[in-house]
Amino acid sequence: MSTETTSLPATGRLKTDEMIINMGPQHPATHGVLRLLVTLDGEFVKHVEPVIGHLHRAQEWQGQNRTWFQYQALIDRVDYLSGMFTSWALCRAAEKIDGTEIPLRAEYMRVMVAEMNRITSHLLWLGTYLIDLGAMFGFPFYPFREREKLLDLLEAISGQRMMFNYIRIGGVQAEAPPGWFARLKAFTEEFPQRVDEYEAIVTQNPIFLKRTKGVGILKKQVAMDYGVTGPSLRASGVPFDLRKVKPYSVYDRLNFEVPVFDGDGDTWDRYMCRIREMRQSNEIIKQCMEQIPGGSSDELREKRKACNSCDKADCPNCGGDLRIMTKKQNAGLRIKAGEGFAAVESPRGTLGCYIISTGGDTAYRIKWRNPSFSNLAVLPVLLLDHPIADIMAIFGSIDVILPDVDR
Amino acid sequence: MSEGHEPEKAEAKDELKAGPFGQFLEEHGIPSRRLPDSCGVETIELDGKHLEAAMKRLRNSHEIALNFLVSVAGVDSPETYDSVYHLWSYSNLNELVVKVRVPKASVPEDRLPLVPSLAPFWPAANWHERETYDLVGIRYVGHPYLRRILNPWDWEGHPLRRDYKQLVDALNDKNQFSMR
Repeated sequence: MSTETTSLPATGRLKTDEMIINMGPQHPATHGVLRLLVTLDGEFVKHVEPVIGHLHRAQEWQGQNRTWFQYQALIDRVDYLSGMFTSWALCRAAEKIDGTEIPLRAEYMRVMVAEMNRITSHLLWLGTYLIDLGAMFGFPFYPFREREKLLDLLEAISGQRMMFNYIRIGGVQAEAPPGWFARLKAFTEEFPQRVDEYEAIVTQNPIFLKRTKGVGILKKQVAMDYGVTGPSLRASGVPFDLRKVKPYSVYDRLNFEVPVFDGDGDTWDRYMCRIREMRQSNEIIKQCMEQIPGGSSDELREKRKACNSCDKADCPNCGGDLRIMTKKQNAGLRIKAGEGFAAVESPRGTLGCYIISTGGDTAYRIKWRNPSFSNLAVLPVLLLDHPIADIMAIFGSIDVILPDVDR
Repeated sequence: MSEGHEPEKAEAKDELKAGPFGQFLEEHGIPSRRLPDSCGVETIELDGKHLEAAMKRLRNSHEIALNFLVSVAGVDSPETYDSVYHLWSYSNLNELVVKVRVPKASVPEDRLPLVPSLAPFWPAANWHERETYDLVGIRYVGHPYLRRILNPWDWEGHPLRRDYKQLVDALNDKNQFSMR
């Protein structure tokens, strides 16, 4: 009589085995194409191996084989939700090597569009994250309403909805169109109430709390060892934000706070950190509109009628700090020989660009330090011993974008 | 398109004076050589065999605290293969660039240059070293899982080498300037 299928081991428990499950790369909740090889013990995750590279577009190779002028248009595609930041990192590194001075008005314009872009990125994260958690009641339409308003403004100033190519080596591409500052002002005034609306729905929602409180705890030391940056790091209690720690551009003239949480951060802390960041970004935009030299584009246009927009360097209405570009934008754009590393604080963390230039019209080597790449590396630690249902809740909370991982 | 892009060879062979981090390492018996600063950031060259000890010192020292490994980059320079480490700190403003250079003449044909891995004691290096291995072809000795990460696992060659040739030019093989 065969009893093999029914016999129990000596311990009296059912014999169990680990099971390997493949998630993705076409999983709808992976924000692109991420493949996870998950080893499960029952319902609990024992090991995860992220398999990346499905969206690899050889951006570093392109940098060696495209001219600077071509490449700065291409690079927005690395992180398509926050294209301003990738352009900015490239431009800062190139300007550092080249020694290019940026006019003050261009710096303020850069900060403004970048902070708008940060808000749009966080809003998209908020909407999709609620879907990841299973909130299928149409919540994403709330954040997307505001996101569309901001994208309209960014489109008005740069000509593109998401691939802006607005921040250029030497300044910014164009002056704001008529009425742009007024529309942005109206937006910044209503936006805090909109954030209150999201919070009223989400923050203290009992289902949301059950899905996020105490889930996916990222210890401070682990975060630092893995090189995690951005809101995920600050939710774990490390006050590291480049805008405060190593202020670049005009951030040292602006008054804002960096939300930092005490102790080890869980998924809820990371959510809350981004919500507060959006409010701070809104404040930054307001201050920029007050401080920007020359005032709004409409005022400046009025003043320039006096000199007929002469564009001379010594003109009080056109030159000096009021210019927006200091380098000729054409195919002959060259960067001096040298090497340098520059970083900006993107919505996902420290976005760095390492350039080696030999003075030619292309780079000798460009290396990107993408925040998503380093943040994703910590995922196997975060998922350990969590049930399989929490995988997407935790993965969504570190706000990874796959084109940014794969380049 | 790629003419005249060889980096200029360092003309001045004068020894630069060691910077603060170089002095710190020397106090602990680790020799290093200072290179010209990259945009105002101290840059040192280390011998591969001292890399691990130096990195541990720099990371664990309380006052220097270079505990943030920003990136590991591989560079195919004209005469050497470089592994470039950018170190920052989470708690202060220190910055340092460390380079390990392997002369091309010392690498046998069909072999990859060898550099010790940081991944066993510094998880941040894990994926960055895999990427550098994948794209530039530097083998990190002691890495726990050195596999291709961005390219498919069966890819041949290392695309960011200067002498890399694509096997099939899918887009346009008639135009000699198109994709190579």
